[in-house]
Amino acid sequence: MFSLTRRRVTGLMAGVALVAGLGAAQAQEDDIVIGGSIPLTGVFAFAGVAIEAGMQDYITQVNEAGGIGGRNLRLAYEDTGYKVDQSVAVFNKLTSQDEIHLYYGDSTGFAKTIAPELNRMGGMIMGGASFASELNDPEEHPYMFMAGPDYSEMIAILMEYIAEETPGAKIVLVNSDTEFGRDPIESSRAKASELGLEIVEEIITPPTAVDVSTEVLKLRRARPDYTIFHGYILAPLPEFMTQAQQLGLETKFMGTFWSMDSSIWDSVGEPADGFMGVMPYRYYYDEEADAPTMAKIREMRPEYQATGYMQGYLSAMLMAESARRVLDQGQELTGTNLKAAMNTIQDFDTGGLIGIPISIPGNSVPVGRVYQYSAAEKKMQPVSDWITVTE
Amino acid sequence: MTDLLFLLEVSLAGLGSGALLSLTALAFVLIYKATRVINLAVGEILMLGSYLFFAFAAGMGLSVWLALPLAVAGGALTGAVVERGLIRPMLGESPISVFMVTVGLGSVLIGLVELIWGTDPRSLPPFIANTPVFLGEAYVSRKILVAFLVAAAVMAAFMLLFRYWRGGVALRATATDQAAAYSCGINVPGVFSAAWTVGCGIAAGAGVLLGAIGGISPSMGVFGLSALVVVIVGGLDSILGALIGGLALGLIQSWAGTYLGGEYQGVVTFGLLIVALMVRPYGLFGTHEIERL
Repeated sequence: MFSLTRRRVTGLMAGVALVAGLGAAQAQEDDIVIGGSIPLTGVFAFAGVAIEAGMQDYITQVNEAGGIGGRNLRLAYEDTGYKVDQSVAVFNKLTSQDEIHLYYGDSTGFAKTIAPELNRMGGMIMGGASFASELNDPEEHPYMFMAGPDYSEMIAILMEYIAEETPGAKIVLVNSDTEFGRDPIESSRAKASELGLEIVEEIITPPTAVDVSTEVLKLRRARPDYTIFHGYILAPLPEFMTQAQQLGLETKFMGTFWSMDSSIWDSVGEPADGFMGVMPYRYYYDEEADAPTMAKIREMRPEYQATGYMQGYLSAMLMAESARRVLDQGQELTGTNLKAAMNTIQDFDTGGLIGIPISIPGNSVPVGRVYQYSAAEKKMQPVSDWITVTE
Repeated sequence: MTDLLFLLEVSLAGLGSGALLSLTALAFVLIYKATRVINLAVGEILMLGSYLFFAFAAGMGLSVWLALPLAVAGGALTGAVVERGLIRPMLGESPISVFMVTVGLGSVLIGLVELIWGTDPRSLPPFIANTPVFLGEAYVSRKILVAFLVAAAVMAAFMLLFRYWRGGVALRATATDQAAAYSCGINVPGVFSAAWTVGCGIAAGAGVLLGAIGGISPSMGVFGLSALVVVIVGGLDSILGALIGGLALGLIQSWAGTYLGGEYQGVVTFGLLIVALMVRPYGLFGTHEIERL
């Protein structure tokens, strides 16, 4: 007669746990792992939280549809606090725990720090939150990509729009004194002169700037038609715009991707009305008929999702598509194969996440559209067609 | 003439933002003066104050004139709890340990704010009118002018309190010699508590003013670093030093930003710190302590 003693029960439980563990390990071994140094705390946390949600949702969709060649996608990530040393530590930890061929990095600093290691390893491709122009160089950074236009291309998109609307317009560039902020200054000058636009003042603000009275005084002297901000999320843009309006300046204010989330402008109210900027993706609430991906996202998440979500979603989509193309050809998942596969992406339909089919000739997706904030609607509304820029 | 007017406008803007630095520096000074603790979490208390204001005014829909004192009281309460719960049990420990506790406290406060209000940057409900002010022909942002007036009033009040009020004198006595203050019947732990409470209340108030100008985010506490420069230059235990140091730094930053470019502001600020430390390590108005062996 089989009697259940405490020892037997313990042994039985240990056995079950071992079998279940082995099973899980087996399942995980087959997974295609996307590693992630993601900023869930710190100054960039608002983006990191949204990026993680976007990546997870796309991964869930792929896995529910059977994965890639029968293998599931899995996101292995840790918080970096938006600190380069922490991001590197997370990278080292994750790459030693799993076999990783796809990676999401959180900053320009991290991408540049890890680039030599990435080139040496040759085993993976890396996207991330940085749209640094410097990373958009396939010669120097053969394993990097970005799910949108680089910062120089973003300004170029804005300038193409300005040249169309107001030929010969006067422009002031306002950039934060950070690596992120200073990125497109050189290329902006070149693009402006190519399009016959005049840069009448360049203002650099310290990263911790709160009061911008002095900078607004410079703006009043320059009297530009357009003021382009780059290197900011929100502050000190609202104060800049409020004071400029107080002084009766009629300049139009513009920004780049990371300051284009509409929810951050909702609390600003009236002064935000008319703020424009470049956006590579559709907004959560864009309801065009040709955008099944947007409908799917709204179905999965009934509440508003920030722009970082779309960026994370598209990053995961491009990674998955590259992996799929490599595996379909019976090749190994290596950095070279994945990047080559990514560069074969041509006229690719994102399901309306971006309004036109996209191609990735180099390291970026050089497409964007100009949107304008309506304080009454509390929404960003498109004011241009999709604009593609090429070097 | 136009250039002179421009210089005047730039200088006024500098004095305005300098006043905010002075106010924040006052929080450092009050706490240091009484307890000899450099509270590195002042920046985060400032951030907490602005979020409390946001919660009362935007979240609960209270009038801003009610939300403002509540935010200041919230900051003060936090200061009192921290002093009683964390700092006082560490009396007698090495100063570096207490200093590290305040560093940790800063991180905890950031984490708490991110948990409760999330990580998005936000704007405070407007409570200062937007119409510009012209002093003669010179333009001044109204928010900056209000910040300047509030800071000036608070600083003046504290200077008077320290000179004439019994509590202020008790704090000065504690700062000079704790044992002697005890023997004179001064409630030294009470003074510690009061300094933390009032200091953190001031930081919270400065946070509301700062938030009204530049918006709020969990990372806005870095403003405290500039204020720390002010107190090191002005003297860690000198209210006058905080006032003059803040105004001077605001002015210098504004001139540097205008005539050299924004990228030079940090260089000028911290260059000034190094020079000040070399010339007067105890600050322009700080107490020159002589240690006898």
